[in-house]
Amino acid sequence: MTAVHHGEAGTPVDVNDPHLTRFDIVKEGLRRDDIEIVTYESHFHGQNSKAERRIVRNIAFLLLLSGLFTAAFLVFYIVWPWEFELGHTRSDYYTPILGITLGLGLLSLGFAILAWAKKLLPHELSIQQRHGDPSSDDERLITGQTMMYVADELGVARRPLLKGAIAIGAAPLGLAVAAPLVGGLIKDPHKGPNPMMTTTGFSSDANGGKLVRLTREDGSPIRPEDVSAGGQMTVYPGIPHGATNKYADSPTLLIHLRADDAAETRKNAEADKNGRNVGSMWGNYVAYSKICTHAGCPASLYEQQTNRLLCPCHQSQFNIKDNAQPIFGPATRRLPMLPLTVDEEGFFVAAEDYKDVVGPDFWERP
Amino acid sequence: MKRRKIDLAEAPKNFAKGVDDRFQAATPLRGLLNKVFPDHWSFLLGEIALFSFIVLLLSGVFLTLFFDPSMKEVPYDGSYLALKGTMMSAAYESSLHLSFEVRGGLFMRQLHHWAALLFMASIIVHMARVFFTGAFRKPREINWVIGVLLFLLGFFAGFTGYSLPDDGLSGTGLRIASAIMLTLPVIGTWLSAAIFGGEFPGELIIGRFYIAHVLLIPGILLGLIAAHLGIVFKQKHTQWPGPLRTNENVVGERMFPRYAMKQGGFFMAVFGVIALLAGLFQINPIWLFGPYRAAEVSSASQPDFYVMFMDGLVRLMPNWQIYIPFGDGYSIPPMFWPAVVGLGALFTLPMAYPWLEARKLKDKRSHHLLERPRDNPERVGIGMMALTFFLVATISGGNDVIADKFHISLNAMTWAGRIGLLLLPPLAYYISVRICLGLQQHDRQVLAHGVETGIIKRLPNGQFVEVHQPLGPVDDHGHPIPLEYAGWVVPKKMNRLGALAPAIKGFFYPVEKPADIPVSPAVGGPAKREEIKSGR
Amino acid sequence: MTSDTPARRRARVFSRRRGAPSRARRRLGAAVRMLAALVLAGGVYTAFTPGAFAEDNVQLSAVAREGKALYDTSCISCHGRDGQGVEDRGPSLIGVGSASVEFQVGTGRMPMTRQEAQAEQKPPQFNDAQTEQLGQYIQELGGGPELPDGPLVANLESDPDALARGGELFRVNCTSCHGFGGGGGALSSGKFAPSLSDATAEELYAAMLTGPQNMPVFGDNQLTPEQKKQIITYISVQLQDDKDPGGLFNLGRYGPSTEGMAIFLVGITLLVFTSLWIAGKS
Repeated sequence: MTAVHHGEAGTPVDVNDPHLTRFDIVKEGLRRDDIEIVTYESHFHGQNSKAERRIVRNIAFLLLLSGLFTAAFLVFYIVWPWEFELGHTRSDYYTPILGITLGLGLLSLGFAILAWAKKLLPHELSIQQRHGDPSSDDERLITGQTMMYVADELGVARRPLLKGAIAIGAAPLGLAVAAPLVGGLIKDPHKGPNPMMTTTGFSSDANGGKLVRLTREDGSPIRPEDVSAGGQMTVYPGIPHGATNKYADSPTLLIHLRADDAAETRKNAEADKNGRNVGSMWGNYVAYSKICTHAGCPASLYEQQTNRLLCPCHQSQFNIKDNAQPIFGPATRRLPMLPLTVDEEGFFVAAEDYKDVVGPDFWERP
Repeated sequence: MKRRKIDLAEAPKNFAKGVDDRFQAATPLRGLLNKVFPDHWSFLLGEIALFSFIVLLLSGVFLTLFFDPSMKEVPYDGSYLALKGTMMSAAYESSLHLSFEVRGGLFMRQLHHWAALLFMASIIVHMARVFFTGAFRKPREINWVIGVLLFLLGFFAGFTGYSLPDDGLSGTGLRIASAIMLTLPVIGTWLSAAIFGGEFPGELIIGRFYIAHVLLIPGILLGLIAAHLGIVFKQKHTQWPGPLRTNENVVGERMFPRYAMKQGGFFMAVFGVIALLAGLFQINPIWLFGPYRAAEVSSASQPDFYVMFMDGLVRLMPNWQIYIPFGDGYSIPPMFWPAVVGLGALFTLPMAYPWLEARKLKDKRSHHLLERPRDNPERVGIGMMALTFFLVATISGGNDVIADKFHISLNAMTWAGRIGLLLLPPLAYYISVRICLGLQQHDRQVLAHGVETGIIKRLPNGQFVEVHQPLGPVDDHGHPIPLEYAGWVVPKKMNRLGALAPAIKGFFYPVEKPADIPVSPAVGGPAKREEIKSGR
Repeated sequence: MTSDTPARRRARVFSRRRGAPSRARRRLGAAVRMLAALVLAGGVYTAFTPGAFAEDNVQLSAVAREGKALYDTSCISCHGRDGQGVEDRGPSLIGVGSASVEFQVGTGRMPMTRQEAQAEQKPPQFNDAQTEQLGQYIQELGGGPELPDGPLVANLESDPDALARGGELFRVNCTSCHGFGGGGGALSSGKFAPSLSDATAEELYAAMLTGPQNMPVFGDNQLTPEQKKQIITYISVQLQDDKDPGGLFNLGRYGPSTEGMAIFLVGITLLVFTSLWIAGKS
């Protein structure tokens, strides 16, 4: 295609000429905007043709339909029972009815408008020149020089003292603006009586030196016989709010292993390389942190025959019998083991806090 | 004194005059009314995103009237029996209240969520269109970058919104977000503590996410969308090559009335589809998830689909941990690579692509004509490679659901994802490049020899040949003179040449029928165009 | 990471074997075991002729004797004589109780058709009466948990809080494997937690009580019968019977993965067709 320039080349007309039609004036506007209409034709031959009447009828029908659906939406919105009730009730259809009536109402209106634009309005093909040329070199030069001139006027280059003074004056101001934001948000994760990253609710320090009991969600303590062999229980520290999200790193999985599994688990725990799990089991019971060492989800899918724990978020799998070492998936660290014992009343307590850090891995994790 | 009569017929004219006196609006307004837009179905995909954003703003305002972004523990006392008396955060309680005690509230919540999914899905489709047609080339690189940023912001808007109800699923998502922050070397713990106001989950995060979700992110989104549209307006839309179309013009229809009307109708259609989705398909049934408790989780815990690629990458990452034996010992957890480095790369590489490609092709010209995907096989290959990577990662984000429903081993799914992530993208590159080259070659063949007619002719020497219909003039021996490729559709079937009517009339057919215009009797070619005399 | 071959997986489901012998040894072992099983099955067949039958178990009740007859034809090849178990084929049934039988046989999981990662639910091979006879036999062999009498679903009229308490217990104990919506979920290496959508109250109770396959056991000290009934109430009333209020389709309650599919298959598809029509030649 060769580039053909139209528009400006055309002859201007006097828009005040009374003989001009409205379309002539529109065309003069197009000429001034550098637009040329190539084709502009009606879809129909002659005024009020049969085909046109049919399309007008269809559009009117769609508009009518839209009104009908929208009215239905309003009626159902007001009269249909909407309050939630248990079981299979009429209120269960409230949301679907709203969606269907409003959706169909909007769709009919949309298609009415689209059909109007597509079928009734004349089909046109216009060409507009882009004028995407960059500014001329002169213009660029002038603007550039103007900016340099502004800089010159300030005279920073000539007055080096000011240059330094600006830096010294502005930098603290910038920092002062940033300080409340950063300073307000910042919180030392390693400070405080219970450093958040390294202690859990099972630490006896927070319990006045008393060993912390393992409890159910409702706070009731647990006897060994409460968990059947091949069973598991989610346990929480038996301290105030121990089962709430205040102690989000404390949920623990107490598992009662079958005898032969327990023997093997004990053997592996006693042979633990860094010794942290030595003596942490109690009888056939073992307790692992429920918080995955990968991303912190509860790794709580306990497979009692294969003795695996699976995390549902990223599918890390841990071998219960071998110190909860990860055997599949993206987790690198084993789940920490909670040292278990039983107090004088026969309830499970944590002999001490977790010896490994609970929860997802981080940079300075010891 | 004689009372002045108010001439009602003159009122609009006087009003218009008054406006122009003050704002000099007449000339720019005429320019707007007359602005020409090219028309192609693929140019409407971005509009879906724009219109869903409008629905998001409207429905979002409704939701804020009822939502309470507080993590104070309150007992539930609403009509949903299965949670009666359960202790939960006020945020979750108000979300339930909004769903069950506000008339039409559940519908609005679902409308908002479906609009969000449609927003992100249409951004992906729109980005693919822009990429594969080369619409990001100079002078539109900045708008491409803004588009990538819009996806990133939509990603964060979606994630913060997903977290707000404080249900079991959103709490799990927040837990993972905190773990991702923790993986950052050196500053990880400090960042997480700063954002959550201490140890996870704390009591601040919902309030902070709320302000980000309803003010900060939508504000930036709104600004960037305005800039995105403003740049399209200023630079004028790209167009496909074809008859009459050059790099210097725009061929299409004027903004008013037809184009604007189509846009209005399309908005209604988009809104209607979202409303239908919101009514027909249940989304995010938070009442089943219960309040977030650190000890509770569900199988198949997933983020919304546009975050799933990241979750998938995290799932597929092998458990490679880097230990730094220095001082007490430091480590970089494996999740750092897919979640922080991976996410960063997935956004910065696309942003840099326009300049990388221009540098490689030594192409400094401005392009207003689109390129058919086949005409740049390497770009298509790279795009398909990226899409395949994204798709494998996204599918792996739901690999547990697939494993469960199709009875595949979960571990096998993980391994398939790991291998697929490495093998499939290069394969996709190779296959799509080959397909592009094949299509290119076929185009050239048809231009050189004509269209296959399906008529077999027997030559005097007994040889069978297929008769070809030449597309252009023929030489003295009756052989077609090879035509030059013009970057646009080459008719390859006889019915495209007008020998037969198209199979489905008025559908799947571009407005500017390529073979039509130069020979249209109404126009008679660009050289001797008759003047159009009337509006009809 | 350890690789998990199907053969190893199969072997591990019902046995908790230590160490991993080489592939060749495993294959050889499997062949030997197969041969042994065939010999055993043949031997058992000859040993348990109806005449010899009565002397062995004098103390069995009439119902249990019926059950034993069924056991000796359908179960003995894997679980061995008198439910003693066969190494690498089937575990001992001493002490599993009638609740376990009712679950395993009543849902068609037992008898298994072949050794696989996990016994699949299928149409039961025995009718209710036969299941009860088998259960009685196992119960009399070695005792164990039994299903209680009376209704297994709490009465919401008299105890309206049971539903919410059941929901809470469900989320603590069950959702991690079976999902928030009770639709089931994947476990490691091809195992899975089944969907609860068709489970009856008896099956749910028996499953909690006995911990079939990889499901943990929830004994009566951990979840009291009252609490078990509350969980069953939540599952049957809220998850099975209650119609989802959020639409005609609940997308399987699988969460974001099906929602993401729906937005592309329904939303984007509809709108792309619309834009094709808008820009199409009229």
